[in-house]
Amino acid sequence: MLSYILRRIAATLPVMAIVALFVFSLLYIAPGDPAVVIAGDQASPEDVERIRQSLGLDRPFLVQFGSWVWRILHGDLGTSIFTNLPVSAMIGQRLGPTLSLMMVTLLLTIVVAVPLGVVAAWKAGSLIDRIIMGFAVFGFSLPVFVVGYMLAYIFALELEWLPVQGYTPLSAGFWPWLENLILPAIALGCVYIALVARITRAAMLEVLQQDYIRTAKAKGLGQGGILFIHALKNAAVPIVTVIGIGIALLIGGAVVTESVFAIPGLGRLTIDAILRRDYPVIQGIVLLFSFVYVLVNLMIDVIYTLVDPRIRY
Amino acid sequence: MDRRTVLKGLAGAGGLALTGISAPAIAQGASARTLRFVPQANLANFDPIWGTQYVVRNAAAMVWDTLYGIDAQLQPQRQMVESEETSDDGKIWTFKLRPGLKFHDGEPVLSKDVVASLSRWAARDPMGLMILAIQQELTAVDDRTFKWVLKQPFPKMLYALAKNNAPCSFVMPERIAKTDPFKQITEYVGSGPMKFAKGEWVPGAKAVFEKFADYVPRQEKASWLAGGKQMQLDRIEWIVMPDPATAAAALQNGEVDWWENPIADLVPVLKKNKNISVDIGDPLGNIGSFRMNHLFAPFNDVRARRAVLMALSQEDYMRAIVGDDNALWKPLPGFFTPDTPVYNELGGEILKGKRDFDAAKKLLAESGYSGQPVTCLVAQDQPITKAQGDVTADLLKRLGMNVDFVATDWGTVGSRRAQKTPPGQGGWNMFHSWHAGADCITPAAYTAIRANGDKAWFGWPNSPNTEKEITGWFEAKNVEEEKAAIGKVNKAAIEDVVYAPTGFFLTYTAWRKNVSGITKGPLPFFWGVSKSA
Repeated sequence: MLSYILRRIAATLPVMAIVALFVFSLLYIAPGDPAVVIAGDQASPEDVERIRQSLGLDRPFLVQFGSWVWRILHGDLGTSIFTNLPVSAMIGQRLGPTLSLMMVTLLLTIVVAVPLGVVAAWKAGSLIDRIIMGFAVFGFSLPVFVVGYMLAYIFALELEWLPVQGYTPLSAGFWPWLENLILPAIALGCVYIALVARITRAAMLEVLQQDYIRTAKAKGLGQGGILFIHALKNAAVPIVTVIGIGIALLIGGAVVTESVFAIPGLGRLTIDAILRRDYPVIQGIVLLFSFVYVLVNLMIDVIYTLVDPRIRY
Repeated sequence: MDRRTVLKGLAGAGGLALTGISAPAIAQGASARTLRFVPQANLANFDPIWGTQYVVRNAAAMVWDTLYGIDAQLQPQRQMVESEETSDDGKIWTFKLRPGLKFHDGEPVLSKDVVASLSRWAARDPMGLMILAIQQELTAVDDRTFKWVLKQPFPKMLYALAKNNAPCSFVMPERIAKTDPFKQITEYVGSGPMKFAKGEWVPGAKAVFEKFADYVPRQEKASWLAGGKQMQLDRIEWIVMPDPATAAAALQNGEVDWWENPIADLVPVLKKNKNISVDIGDPLGNIGSFRMNHLFAPFNDVRARRAVLMALSQEDYMRAIVGDDNALWKPLPGFFTPDTPVYNELGGEILKGKRDFDAAKKLLAESGYSGQPVTCLVAQDQPITKAQGDVTADLLKRLGMNVDFVATDWGTVGSRRAQKTPPGQGGWNMFHSWHAGADCITPAAYTAIRANGDKAWFGWPNSPNTEKEITGWFEAKNVEEEKAAIGKVNKAAIEDVVYAPTGFFLTYTAWRKNVSGITKGPLPFFWGVSKSA
């Protein structure tokens, strides 16, 4: 297993290098110039050119790329063109809110979606099944910002139970941290819950038709035991897969969610950086997201072997 | 269902629901001496010389002070300066600083700091560059006195030092002001009434300012950037909110105290809330515009440009920007900010009265236009430019023009509009923008009105008449002469269609009623503002 993990990590390095080259090239050829944004509307073309020179943007593509790679290899993600702050510090500043949001959303999803999917499968074809799947379709269809505004209206403006916006770090206390994340996590989690619930139901349905489930029923095992010990474990591979893939969905969804709830996370940083053409920040974030995605895939593969002993590497 | 409809509906419902409800728990728990403010945009950098965005200027006005400040009557008033003298020939300016001025690091403000600051500012400011062009020397005479020696008189000197247009001539410690004006400073030490809490800065999300205990305000009443900047607040938190509906909800909920510029769609909701005051923020407003590229057909022919002016309806543009609120806009037969001392509409007839499409089409045909594509750049991510772009596309089509509508983002427009290549090779024919009315009172900081060809703003208009009249304004010695000169500039610029003004519009600002002392002005002024629990 260890050698497998090491091999997988080694294999990710060229993937990340290709991603880095792709992102760098894409930004280089994309229209838009940070020097123009910095210089403002009053600036002359000479001013813009001087700013471009001072930022090193006038250098050839390969020189810029080489210099960036060299810095990355030395653990330096560069400096933001706009804030003059280290990219790593900016990412570090924004990592907490995004990780918190993703963790709470992930937890909420697993706690809500998996039991819903199991119940829907157990009661397949019944009213309960149709209600659960109806909600799943509803949750899957609504955009994150619509759910976000509805939640903010009901729970923040109307009932005044929770704040509209913002983020409080965990160091300020568990409840202040959590209360800012509840509404965003529900908004972000809706699509995710619907997806996981549907996959859980489908996987469970397949498993529940297996002979060993009939055997378990015949020997008098209770419903809970059948569902959560025998069936769920055997249905876990597709569920784990969709939860893993869903992390990519969470990263994308976080961009909108963080804007709607004014959470100072990586999603907002990404949008701000793209709109300003803050190249070092965009490159740093894309590298980080690529790394997270590769890591999640690795973790999924490892979890496969734990939930299904037939899988070997 | 689009995003805008959803936010209007939900914010509206929220506003109605909250009517009659007092300030919620979060606001009650907050310190009354902390103000939470939602600025117009993100404070992405904090060097007011390097980055000239309005939001940077607005934050900088708290942290750095200026030698002079413009007041509500648009007159320059002494601020850090105690006195000034001008030689009889108008070439030597001698200034003396007020005693007791201190920087946030405890060091006194000295003439050498001023000299370094003015040198850095002048390298980046249009008026500063004019002074540099005639400068003989700028030197510190002693710790409180400095001298600016010119080769010829510059009557607008005090206005240049007082103006609120970015970049303002903020004074920094010499060691910081010596930074290359094209590189960003990393220390934010000023002598203004508030200190910048750099450790709490989260660019894109939050910026914090704390009261500077050693600030020595003037004794006069505060008036815009002039007078006694008396701080009633200990702490001001800027909370950046990219989503207008969230900002509206946070203001209704009491999580923020003041929202600099609510979008027009949400203003009715805010007005219905008894805990919120809404009023015009900046009486100098904004001037909508689109610029035509004077280098390439069809707009290299003045007849094509005039044809567009004859047909455009400013009401269409303004309604697209501000909606049905008639208090928010007015027609503008010219280029200068209405209701200011030297405002003049001379030559503006072409923009008045019934729009004449037949005559415009005839003039367009005379210009030789034969159906070639007209590349129209529109930044979709800026509501004001998006609204104007849609109206222009319709206008050009009705004129029989072949519109190549390039819908993109502001970053791309900003880059592409600098291209001088033909439209088919990465260039353009027209793009949309707007200008703060505060910048358009006179030609002093009005880059968009300049018509000196290659050196002019994007579109590169070449109108020697306009330039001649602008020089006339710089030489004017009193308000009457200035007003006459502005009229001539307006007439010349319209005749040659330097650019197309699409109307004058205002925006609102909104704050909770437990906040008082907010004044109308071209930027948010925090001195004199207080907050009750």
